[in-house]
Amino acid sequence: MGDNINLKILLESQGLERCPFPIPTGWYFVDYSDTLKPTEMRNITLFGQEWVLFRTESGKPGMSDPYCPHLGAHMGHGGKVCGEHLRCPFHHWEYDTSGWCKNIPYGKVTPPIVKKQAILRTLPMVEKYGMMWAWYHPLCAEPTFELPYIPEIEDATGYTGSRRGSWTADTCIQEIAENGVDVAHLKFLHGAPGIPPVSATYEGPIMKLDIGQGYIVGTAYGPGLNVMRFNQHGITATMISYTQPITAEKSTMNMSFRHVDYAEGTPELHASKKVIDHMIGAAEGEESAGFESVDFIVWNNKKYRPNPLLCDGDGPVLQFRKWFKQFYSGADAETLAKI
Amino acid sequence: MTAVRVKDRDGSEQTLDAAETTPLMETLRDDGYGIEGTCGGAMSCGTCHVYVSEAWAAKLPPPSEDEKAMLEAISDFAEVRPTSRLSCQILPDIIYDGLEVEIAPQA
Ligand code: FES
Ligand code: FES
Ligand SMILES: [Fe+2]
Repeated sequence: MGDNINLKILLESQGLERCPFPIPTGWYFVDYSDTLKPTEMRNITLFGQEWVLFRTESGKPGMSDPYCPHLGAHMGHGGKVCGEHLRCPFHHWEYDTSGWCKNIPYGKVTPPIVKKQAILRTLPMVEKYGMMWAWYHPLCAEPTFELPYIPEIEDATGYTGSRRGSWTADTCIQEIAENGVDVAHLKFLHGAPGIPPVSATYEGPIMKLDIGQGYIVGTAYGPGLNVMRFNQHGITATMISYTQPITAEKSTMNMSFRHVDYAEGTPELHASKKVIDHMIGAAEGEESAGFESVDFIVWNNKKYRPNPLLCDGDGPVLQFRKWFKQFYSGADAETLAKI
Repeated sequence: MTAVRVKDRDGSEQTLDAAETTPLMETLRDDGYGIEGTCGGAMSCGTCHVYVSEAWAAKLPPPSEDEKAMLEAISDFAEVRPTSRLSCQILPDIIYDGLEVEIAPQA
């Protein structure tokens, strides 16, 4: 090579990381509501750390940092749900689902901070879609948006479908989500007949994607929820996707597939099931593979290029990244510079 | 060392030599004045409560919000006066040589 070679493009990969991102801010699926009964508790790993997930006697879910602010006992080992509180096994201090200390069973004088603020880190939670959701913010800020109404899963009469899937990838949530705008890979990795046109609009935490001029219409509500409607064969089938950042480098993608509750034996029902088969990648003789069979080999091995070499025909990857950056607003300058 | 005049809970008075860079609570605790200092100066226990003499109270830097909140919290259990301080928040700098404090009753 000559003297004027661009060494940056040749050598940049030496400094690349697989997942240079912090856990993004947003609402995330924790588990299905029916997996946690009143007064039950268990330890879970999410957002790169362990949490104690519990449900109070009245049915309120709580998710707390495991380590008691008093002397550091792990409340998920020997702790207990007492009424509306989580009780630490060590000295029986009790906390509500918002992290306020509600009882110190022996102290006469309450430490002032106990009256002033929550002293245990807990995550804001809501139950929706038959699921528990938690709001993650690295600096414990309150939620800045709400989860949407999704008729396909919240309207008890009009829709049906119990198919669900769960897949774990060794990468971060942004890398997974980026595939949504990377339309070129649909042809080459998935084997779609062509590169579908894509248009994306961004508004606050919401991104709307239209792939293939109405074929797939998707809405992302922050990094943790995506509702994609597939319009084909005269019907609409819906994929509700809710990915969890287990750690900074490991994500579990969860999906529910729903469709209109058509009568048994109708062509619409047949078409709905076929579209869903296709989404999952289970259909035989499809011209394009569903996501899970082919994306993993890329996700599990790639590195993130902050300065990718994009060409004419690529999707709006950079606009997507710019939109996604808002979910790292709690990150320090050094981290932000790498992404 | 800074001389600090201490009035004990039984009314007896002594002068002690307090290290300038050690919070007064620690000196009082280690010298057996019945100050527990349980929280180590985090202002969450209130067991280091003292009354500073009127003359000296004005000379000390004023209490922080956290110190005021702790004093307020113990007021249900012990008499808190305008000159009440948490001794864990008092650094007996040499400029306070001659400081006078009285150990407050236990909460
Ligand atoms: S460590 Fe939890 S109550 Fe003491
Ligand atoms: S040592 Fe606890 S308040 Fe001073
Ligand atoms: Fe893909």
